[in-house]
Amino acid sequence: MRASSRLFRSIALVLGAAAVTTELSGCSGGSQSPAHEKIRGETITVVMPAPPPPKKLLDRFTAQTGVTVKWNNVDFDSITTKVAAGGAARTYFGDVTYFNFLNGPQYAKLKWFLPLDTLLDPGVTKDTLGKSAFTYDKKLYGVPWDASVGVTTLNKSMFAKAGITSLPTTMDDYTADLVKIKRAGIVKYPLSMPFSAAEGLTVYWIQTTVAFGGASIFDKHGKEQFSSPSSPGYKAAQWMISALKTGLVSPGAVNDGDSQAQGLQAQGLSASSLVDYAGNVSSLYDDPKQSKVVGQVVYLPVPGAHGPVRSINLSDGIGVPAFAKHPAAAAKFVSWLIDGKNQIKFGGAGASDEVWSAQYLPSNYPALTTLNAKGKVGDGAVLLNILKNHSQPYFPYGTPEWYPAFSHAVQTSLHAAATGTMTVPDAIKAMAAAATH
Amino acid sequence: METRRSWARRAGVLFVLVWTIIPLYWAVNISLQTNVQGSAKPSNYLPPTPSLSNYIALLLGSGETAQAMRQGFVNSILECLCATLLTTVLATLAAYAFARMRFRGRTVLFYAVLATLALPAYTTLIPVYQLMSAVGLVNTYVGIILVYCSGFLPLATWILHNYMTALPISIEEACEADGATRMQVLWFVVLPLARPGIASTALITFLFGWGQFLFPLILSTDASTAPLTVVIAALQGRHSFPFTMMSAAGVVAVLLPALIALVANKYIVNGMLAGSVK
Repeated sequence: MRASSRLFRSIALVLGAAAVTTELSGCSGGSQSPAHEKIRGETITVVMPAPPPPKKLLDRFTAQTGVTVKWNNVDFDSITTKVAAGGAARTYFGDVTYFNFLNGPQYAKLKWFLPLDTLLDPGVTKDTLGKSAFTYDKKLYGVPWDASVGVTTLNKSMFAKAGITSLPTTMDDYTADLVKIKRAGIVKYPLSMPFSAAEGLTVYWIQTTVAFGGASIFDKHGKEQFSSPSSPGYKAAQWMISALKTGLVSPGAVNDGDSQAQGLQAQGLSASSLVDYAGNVSSLYDDPKQSKVVGQVVYLPVPGAHGPVRSINLSDGIGVPAFAKHPAAAAKFVSWLIDGKNQIKFGGAGASDEVWSAQYLPSNYPALTTLNAKGKVGDGAVLLNILKNHSQPYFPYGTPEWYPAFSHAVQTSLHAAATGTMTVPDAIKAMAAAATH
Repeated sequence: METRRSWARRAGVLFVLVWTIIPLYWAVNISLQTNVQGSAKPSNYLPPTPSLSNYIALLLGSGETAQAMRQGFVNSILECLCATLLTTVLATLAAYAFARMRFRGRTVLFYAVLATLALPAYTTLIPVYQLMSAVGLVNTYVGIILVYCSGFLPLATWILHNYMTALPISIEEACEADGATRMQVLWFVVLPLARPGIASTALITFLFGWGQFLFPLILSTDASTAPLTVVIAALQGRHSFPFTMMSAAGVVAVLLPALIALVANKYIVNGMLAGSVK
């Protein structure tokens, strides 16, 4: 499954590269309908890596707008393939789809998505968290429908059992606490880390780099900032590999993706994850069907060199493909999905048949505070504070257009370092080479 | 020496068997467990409390997932059967023409058809998508069947060509001497003789079709035409990986091809070896 995911990502990359060439040679982007196009009676296709929202709410959307929604549930990796194929072939595949902000600059340059500034009604995104990650050349190409940031999670019971009375705020404390838990025999491998060559590994390394004091792995000119042994990125890679070699992380982690790594903590087989998904306490660790540690896992601001650091933004976005047949109706649906009142219902504050399991963490901040006040967000107070005050873009100076190729190099190099087929200096060298564009 | 060879053969067979069966066993084992049991370390080599709940949820449930699975199963069967039928008919005619008829450019044309086998499918994805979109065949059974057919036709033609070339030509010549037309020879003589080869080709084509993912992913825009492979991949959520359910779905998907392989193993092997021994 992982191998096929990589294959499809590679295909998407090749298609993307081919299409860049075509676009740069003078072809224009897609069509754009007038903003006030009549939408009643139109049917839009929504392609998302999620089951549809509750029928009751979708029916209400149709009653209000006259727009019927046809939902196409496609897995995350395959959506990238569909976007690439649709964009390269300049062909319709849906009116609304998942927008991966990491591919955003490519999408924007290739004109595979429509700018939403003119499509959405003014003020619709006023309270939406994390939308800066979807803005390229001052145009908004996607909006977050689910707010996520990298955050540390830990099992407070295990920490307490090891005699740790105050939660760590620095990387030194955090590492020492994990060693203490291991030595006390509370759990054999106290740290969860995904070392399979997949996107989760890049995310883990970038957030760990922030933890070691790096604001970004690139400067504002796009030059890499991690090849020097004294740099935070270098130290982050060293720390990750050292955690594996010293037995803080299970040797089996070389085959684990992020969901498997999180699964270990859910099974009580690890005590913490330095980089976890903000939303997992409610959706995974506190779900008795999936977890043996219900009520034990809490969020923690990511420890840093001298104290807590900012969490990187990992929002899930939604956008309108350039070849959408009904862009105005699509924009109406996007507005509906990110609307605070609807997100409160999706989040479980309304009737039980209005809950949408795919929304882990609302992107609308007032909706999030309302849900937290109603006790619908696990460990919500910490999370809200991180989301509002201690988060930063994944790339503060903008995501490079060549990010997918760079990320691939990071994944394969760090994976190779973890399996012992490459040293950390060689892995860093390979990553730096991929960042030289 | 003979005993040593025999043991080596047995060890080889055992290795291949274990190599093949363990992943299948693991999929069945995981599919009978809950998520908590399935992710336990050390792993459960047998389901602690075997449960069919994943299968029931997938096949008999009333939710979106179960509906998509059922629809996907129907779509897979329909698309593969139609593509198999069309491919086999066209490949039989083409193979007969290449094997028995003499016309200018025959060899070049035959090798040109074979050469398309070496063309990675991905290179044709975008043009095919554009073409299908232009003629309105995206998200239709016809579109997917035509693409399958174009993809499988060269291999099917090659297998049948090898099979037909190996048939004795004297019977056909005798029929022609008695006044039979070319089509009568094909219908009354060649087809009955080539029936095992045609069956092999049909089976191989069906099995190839069953495993297709990329083209149906691109050519289907909703569950109405998406085959099982696409539906199963979609079980994976953005932040969740229901691996016990995906294992159950994988087991369901593999049942039909496994059954075909077991029942018609002889034909499949014959097809693969067609023309290899003169």
